[in-house]
Amino acid sequence: MSERISLEVPATLSALSTVRMVLGGLGARLDFSLEDLDDLFLATDRLLEAALDAERLESLRVEMAVDGVTLTVVAGSFHSEALRDQVAVTPGGCIDLCTLLRRLVDHVDVQMEEGGFSVVMVKHGPNAGA
Amino acid sequence: MSGRDDRRTNDPLDLEALPGQARVVPDDEEGADVEQGSHGPSADPEGRGRDDSEKLDQYLLRRYHLYGDRRAREQLITMYLPLVRSLARRYASRGEQFDDLVQVGAIGLIKAIDRFDLSRGVELTTYATPNIVGEIKRYFRDKGWSVRVPRGLQELNIRLNKVIDELVPKLQRSPTINELAEAANATPEAVLEALETSQAYNSVSLQASPNGESGEEDAGLIDYLGGEEEAYDTMEDRTTLAPGFAKLDKRERYILHLRFFEGLTQSQIAERVGISQMHVSRLIRRSLEKLREEIGDLDTPQPPRSSDDDR
Repeated sequence: MSERISLEVPATLSALSTVRMVLGGLGARLDFSLEDLDDLFLATDRLLEAALDAERLESLRVEMAVDGVTLTVVAGSFHSEALRDQVAVTPGGCIDLCTLLRRLVDHVDVQMEEGGFSVVMVKHGPNAGA
Repeated sequence: MSGRDDRRTNDPLDLEALPGQARVVPDDEEGADVEQGSHGPSADPEGRGRDDSEKLDQYLLRRYHLYGDRRAREQLITMYLPLVRSLARRYASRGEQFDDLVQVGAIGLIKAIDRFDLSRGVELTTYATPNIVGEIKRYFRDKGWSVRVPRGLQELNIRLNKVIDELVPKLQRSPTINELAEAANATPEAVLEALETSQAYNSVSLQASPNGESGEEDAGLIDYLGGEEEAYDTMEDRTTLAPGFAKLDKRERYILHLRFFEGLTQSQIAERVGISQMHVSRLIRRSLEKLREEIGDLDTPQPPRSSDDDR
């Protein structure tokens, strides 16, 4: 059964701590290893930091869902084309956001929606393949 | 009254009564001084024997404790500063400035000199080392946190670091939060909270400019790595030539290369480099923060849009 948690936090770096705490709680329930959790934290931090750099946001909206073996993070809605390109396109040759996210989580997608887009990140738990 | 006048007494412990171990050099602006190897007792390039150093220590300690000679105390502090630096270097990669750690360690040294009990018959090095290390550790525990963190969480965080180091080789993988909680006798929520506090613990180093790091801080990392990896020099050019990478040192580039180009996990990198997975995690974060500061503008070519444009 899928469970969803929606967070809306101030658009500041210090608010990322709240996002990490909730993510950590969900990851712990899925028996994520410390290392997997750390990767998920880093991916979320980098994405949201890039969003804060690219756009003038009043708040950050993050939705998290667990379905028993997988944790999905959806962040947005964003509007910056530069941010979208950073997430979707890898120019190669450097550790760009795209490369980084794809190493840290199992799946990354840009979901277009009216007036903007959201970034979807999926991380499988240890029992995902079982 | 000058220190030199103090010495010209009938004191049987007169400095000049110790030929070959200490001698009074001519007055300079600061007055007479005891000449001692510039590297202190821990390294004596002049070949002075260990016994000689110990005798000098004992002599100066007696002068200070029995006669109240403050100059002897200062001399001891100067002599043992290399020991303080050496011990501080072990902790220099934890996000605090090396010079600050030396200052803190020096407080531990001074306490050790002041509290030294002549009747115990132990060497000052033996007594001072745990005092210096203790002072540095206390500093990290009490003051190394950029955000005030409750003592209980700080202690749990420290305990977790030990537990992680024990569990990783035992489990042959990274432990889960529940496993950490059980091993640390804490709830999973407390573990998560304590791990989150380590973000506060590291935030100073994450924000630090790479140019602000001294070579001695790097030396602390070298202590963990155990030596220069040949592979540092054989990384693919794309890593070393990538934008912003010039700001990273070789080890940081190497670790990022392994993680993001080779696809190694933190644990695999930890094994290869010879440091803990937690340390790899911190280094990756610190390096990425440096990159972000350096190439942030390149990544976001468009200026922030106005709220009218965005909505």
